[in-house]
Amino acid sequence: MQKGNSIYAEEAERIADYLIGVAPGERELNIYSEAMQILNIQFTKYEQELWKSMLKSKWRMACIDGGLALKEPNNNARRKLFCMLSILETSPAYIDYFLSKSFSSFYFFKLMWTATRAVCRGLTGLFLIKLIKIKCK
Amino acid sequence: MQVDFDYIVVGSGATGAIAARTLVEAGCKVAVLDAGVEDEQYKSIIPNKDFISIRKEDQQQHTYFLGNKFEGIPWQTTKVGSQLTPPRNFLTELTEKLIPFESETFKPMESLAKGGLGGGWGCGCYLFSKPELDAIGLDESVMRKSYEAVAEHIGISGAKDDGAPYCLGELQNILPPPKLENNLKNIFDAYAKKKNKLNKKGVYVGRSALALLTENKNDRSAVKYKDMDFWSDKDKSAYRSWMTIDELKNKSNFTYHKNCLVLKFKETESGIEVYVKRIDTNEEKIFTCKKLILSPGVLGTARIVIRSFDYVQEQLPVICNPYSYIPCLQWKMLGKETEQYKTSFSQLVMYIDENKSNYDVAMAALFSYRSLLLFKLIKESPLNFADGRILMQYLQSSFTIAGIHHPEKPGPSKFIRMKKDVHSFTNDILTGQYILSDQEEEINKQRENKIKSTLRTLGCFPLKTIHTPHGGSIHYAGTLPFDKSNKPFTLLPNGKLAGTQNVFVADGSGFKYLPAKGLTLTLMANAHFVANNAMINE
Ligand SMILES: Cc1cc2nc3c(=O)[nH]c(=O)nc-3n(C[C@H](O)[C@H](O)[C@H](O)COP(=O)(O)OP(=O)(O)OC[C@H]3O[C@@H](n4cnc5c(N)ncnc54)[C@H](O)[C@@H]3O)c2cc1C
Repeated sequence: MQKGNSIYAEEAERIADYLIGVAPGERELNIYSEAMQILNIQFTKYEQELWKSMLKSKWRMACIDGGLALKEPNNNARRKLFCMLSILETSPAYIDYFLSKSFSSFYFFKLMWTATRAVCRGLTGLFLIKLIKIKCK
Repeated sequence: MQVDFDYIVVGSGATGAIAARTLVEAGCKVAVLDAGVEDEQYKSIIPNKDFISIRKEDQQQHTYFLGNKFEGIPWQTTKVGSQLTPPRNFLTELTEKLIPFESETFKPMESLAKGGLGGGWGCGCYLFSKPELDAIGLDESVMRKSYEAVAEHIGISGAKDDGAPYCLGELQNILPPPKLENNLKNIFDAYAKKKNKLNKKGVYVGRSALALLTENKNDRSAVKYKDMDFWSDKDKSAYRSWMTIDELKNKSNFTYHKNCLVLKFKETESGIEVYVKRIDTNEEKIFTCKKLILSPGVLGTARIVIRSFDYVQEQLPVICNPYSYIPCLQWKMLGKETEQYKTSFSQLVMYIDENKSNYDVAMAALFSYRSLLLFKLIKESPLNFADGRILMQYLQSSFTIAGIHHPEKPGPSKFIRMKKDVHSFTNDILTGQYILSDQEEEINKQRENKIKSTLRTLGCFPLKTIHTPHGGSIHYAGTLPFDKSNKPFTLLPNGKLAGTQNVFVADGSGFKYLPAKGLTLTLMANAHFVANNAMINE
């Protein structure tokens, strides 16, 4: 399959960019596309709205993902992200994003910063999810 | 009637394999009838390399790490067996279709695989103490010999440390323990420093005894620390029951019949008829033998026995260790490198023996997390995946998981029941209920609190306690409890099924009590004992 040919290529690129900040290679795009065809993830109307909103920007994707992680961790809108996460982890090209990190300068600072950012994103996400729920009613 | 075999053994799991081997070694003509599902997909595609090298090099790793059908990307994890990796999924294949189990409160895992659940077991071996064996209904003096015989066959490694009285007992010919990874070494060092204080409270920590070779044995190699233990059995270092079956296949007095689902038996004057439905063709067939040894796992035996007695009793008791696990952060390991070469089998075990009686001991197995892949851990955190990944990457080396088993006794709300169901493969379905009393819940909670407090003392900060549904421990027993009075639906102490002349049960159906420690070594020793009894009886 050629890069970009798949109907899933665009969302795959956005998800990979959100998860690890890189554009996925052809291998990962193909595997993602195959996974989507096999898993055939079906969205409800509410999940569809969440997904549309997540695709609008990386920031929205992070916040809604964080909000869902707190309130609805098994929401299908996260499932696509989870699939891509597993595909990236099992790709030799991206192994450094998943193997354990040893001490480096600012180790604790990075840890604290990421944790704080995650909490803020989660809380903002809860607010965005509420808005989407209202819109869906 | 001319019978086909001296002995038929049903099932090739931990118990069936040992029972069959005991009989074959004694020169009997033996057949194993087994559903016998095997892994046809993954065995040949997993490279014979260590985990990190595979991760760095193999472009096709997603096919076995995630599965051909992406079945290794768990989402809603309520399905039984969803914790197994794709190459181990065959262990539970066809169970939902052929031997369904329905219950809201009990979620057991069963296997129709060649080698049974032992194809994926953690190899943790525990010799039960005299008070534990007494409570189960087994005689200590005869079990000691059986333990030795089984240990000699499967190969057990371990250390004579503070944990030894709880797992190795007096067992001879132990192989040296496998090396311990840094994550667990730290905890062991912390224990050594605080040992006196902890021992006074009845807390002991030691290396686990394992059915894992640390020296070569026949065609099996010593562990090579590739950390692929959840994925492949390339070196055969970890004992799997199918290895015994493969070894027996070379003997002329042994035959292995796969695709055979045993439905029931009937004793006649000239022998035993064993009714089988083939799972590949649905064809029904009868095998005949002089003596029958049932070892299809506790629930499998219950199905066969209930059918064979024409459903006169549909409800039987059952016991299963409650299991919970606690992910912890070990401060000292923050930012430390994890070693490339290790084995996930190598664990530390904490025993809580408040009465110092080696009875009703609670147990927590301590292990680290790596080769099951980070994405599954990230999903468990209440954070967005992108930040969750970064945090888990930083914290991964400091994660220690404590898996807690509680000892367990029968109770009025712990039972299984067979129902007729014309739509099922066998025209019936097993259901069940498993509810602990408030008092049992409270005792388990207190034990968990004690374990958490000890973990803190050892430098591990518990994050949360996750209680798995009943059945999650994968330790089942007690459906046909040992009883000397020959009461229906019980076993005599020698393993014979009450109300029969020549039917024996070699799995855990008779066990009236389940210590928290893993039961499989004792299951195998009992299977050896029962097979010997079946021969004496002749
Ligand atoms: C992931 C995992 C980790 C574990 N770790 C440990 C551990 O560290 N320590 C420990 O002590 N225990 C552990 N266990 C538990 C251990 O695997 C079981 O206690 C043990 O395998 C039970 O053996 P069994 O022979 O009674 O039954 P099974 O292993 O269930 O074998 C049943 C056999 O019977 C066959 N069968 C079933 N029904 C029929 C039928 N009707 N007709 C014909 N054949 C049939 C099946 O094909 C199979 O071969 C673990 C289990 C799992 C899954």
